[in-house]
Amino acid sequence: MYMIRAIIIDDERLARNELKKLLLDFPEIEVIAEAANAAEGVEKIDSLNPDLIFLDIQMPGKTGFDMLSELERAPNVIFTTAYDEYALKAFEVNALDYLLKPVEPKRLADALQKLQLEEDKEPISDHPISINRSILNEHDQVFVKDGERCWFVKLSDIRLFESVGNYAKVYFGPNKPLILKSLNALEERLDEKVFFRANRKHIVNLRLIEKIEPYFNGGLLLEMKGGEKIEVSRRQTVKFKEMMSL
Amino acid sequence: MGFKKQCVMPKNVNRYYWLCQISGWGILGLSIVVINTRVLKPKLTTDLIYLYTAILVVLGFVTTHLFREVIRRSGWLKLPVEKALPKFLIGIFLTCLGASVIRIAILGFLSMVHARETPKIFADLLASISEYAIIVIPWTVIYYFYHYIENSRKQQLDTLKLEALVKELELKTIKAHINPHFIFNALNSIRALIDENPTRARRAVTELSNILRSSMQAEKLETVTFEKELNIVKDYLALEYIRFEERLQVEYEIDEDTLDQPIPPMMLQTLVENAIKHGISRQVDGGKVKIVSDFRDDYHELLIVNTGGLNGNRGVDGFGLASTKNRLQILFGQKANFDIREVDGNTVQARVLIPVDGK
Repeated sequence: MYMIRAIIIDDERLARNELKKLLLDFPEIEVIAEAANAAEGVEKIDSLNPDLIFLDIQMPGKTGFDMLSELERAPNVIFTTAYDEYALKAFEVNALDYLLKPVEPKRLADALQKLQLEEDKEPISDHPISINRSILNEHDQVFVKDGERCWFVKLSDIRLFESVGNYAKVYFGPNKPLILKSLNALEERLDEKVFFRANRKHIVNLRLIEKIEPYFNGGLLLEMKGGEKIEVSRRQTVKFKEMMSL
Repeated sequence: MGFKKQCVMPKNVNRYYWLCQISGWGILGLSIVVINTRVLKPKLTTDLIYLYTAILVVLGFVTTHLFREVIRRSGWLKLPVEKALPKFLIGIFLTCLGASVIRIAILGFLSMVHARETPKIFADLLASISEYAIIVIPWTVIYYFYHYIENSRKQQLDTLKLEALVKELELKTIKAHINPHFIFNALNSIRALIDENPTRARRAVTELSNILRSSMQAEKLETVTFEKELNIVKDYLALEYIRFEERLQVEYEIDEDTLDQPIPPMMLQTLVENAIKHGISRQVDGGKVKIVSDFRDDYHELLIVNTGGLNGNRGVDGFGLASTKNRLQILFGQKANFDIREVDGNTVQARVLIPVDGK
């Protein structure tokens, strides 16, 4: 068993103390830092790279959600909030968990238990630090916020990025929210073994291709698992064939 | 509602009707007698004038009363004017015809009309009908307009009652309003304090109880003294201070004479809560809340000043704020006022004005 390194982010000192006190009963959790607002939170997450954060939603300056959408890669998150069922409803899928303050020890235990089950399911390779942190692993999750709705998405669940002006449309499940990132910036951060730039406007997840058909001019037409049809440009087709063949 | 009105109305309306009906026909009869005996040269004996007039008046009285029954039972008053008009015209004609037929019959029976040839009776009938028409047409007009005005007045009254009810309900909702976010945050802080500072924790429990109690009592009261409300706000701010610590500064500037002034319960509390929620809690470095209570001209002026900006947020969130003015004006009249504005950059000021002479 390794220690789970956690950061508590909450603007109230007493609330942080209270949570630390509660966490004393869980020796596998090590609180490595605290932050009193979103800016401090981002800074500490970037420098300390925690496994887990406890995140208050209502904070001065930026909310917990805003903070998450600033992160390149979202760590495991347990939200803590006094009374925000409204805000939590924003979550469509797989929000890890949330705790209502004052926190009930039993609920905390359940939340941590759930977290550990997730870790067991897919042992994160070379934990805690992968060789190159700037490239996103397919097991990494990102936090996507589109207006009022938010998602935690594993990169492996994303089948397609589509360029829409300055934004990129992210396809996963039935959802396609927009994020403010250019396709080129994304391409740099994504693992090229998994994510392939099919043409100027699309990056596809090679593991989520349903069908490959020949197309005009020696190009290819990919049909994704969600039914989207993506054309591979002639130039990229050569590269694509290289990658797909042994 | 319309149905109910009809069932309830008759008592008063009936009394008015009989009064008008009796005095109207009475005055008419009297004037006919006076005119025929005193003003004009009497062509007939006084007895005959009395008799003719009595027949005319009694028949008119009875037939118009029957006409009224018809109008009421068939609900002509509720019809739109263009539909009611032909019905009323026919009604008027039939009323005059009925009265005239009976009148001529009676006169004939009394042998006042000496056996004359038929055409003359027909002419008499026409003459009688026009005589009655001169009276029945104004009668109908008066009757119709009385009810027309009465109805619209009733409608206005109903609208007013409904508005009052809505306002009352609104008040109840505002009064009961205490932010659950605050309660749970306070409880969480208190729990942390139990180890850290048990004395402060105990005091905090009392403060929280005071606030909860007053928010429950608020539903029963229209106004409380400013002093009472201020004590609640002090408890509230003391609790928020536990949460925000040095990020919250509080300042009071209270004219002692204003302590006895009446204010709506939980109003100041709601405003201060907004100042914290939209002002202080959004500032990374916190800020200051200042409460000022003073007399200005003929008003009791309350100011809640806090660090922060408006940036449109309060307008949207402003259920409490929008209804605050409404609530003040229901309690203290139109002169009472409430506004909120940004002053010099990073400060928001909410102002309540209550006329000192009260209502």
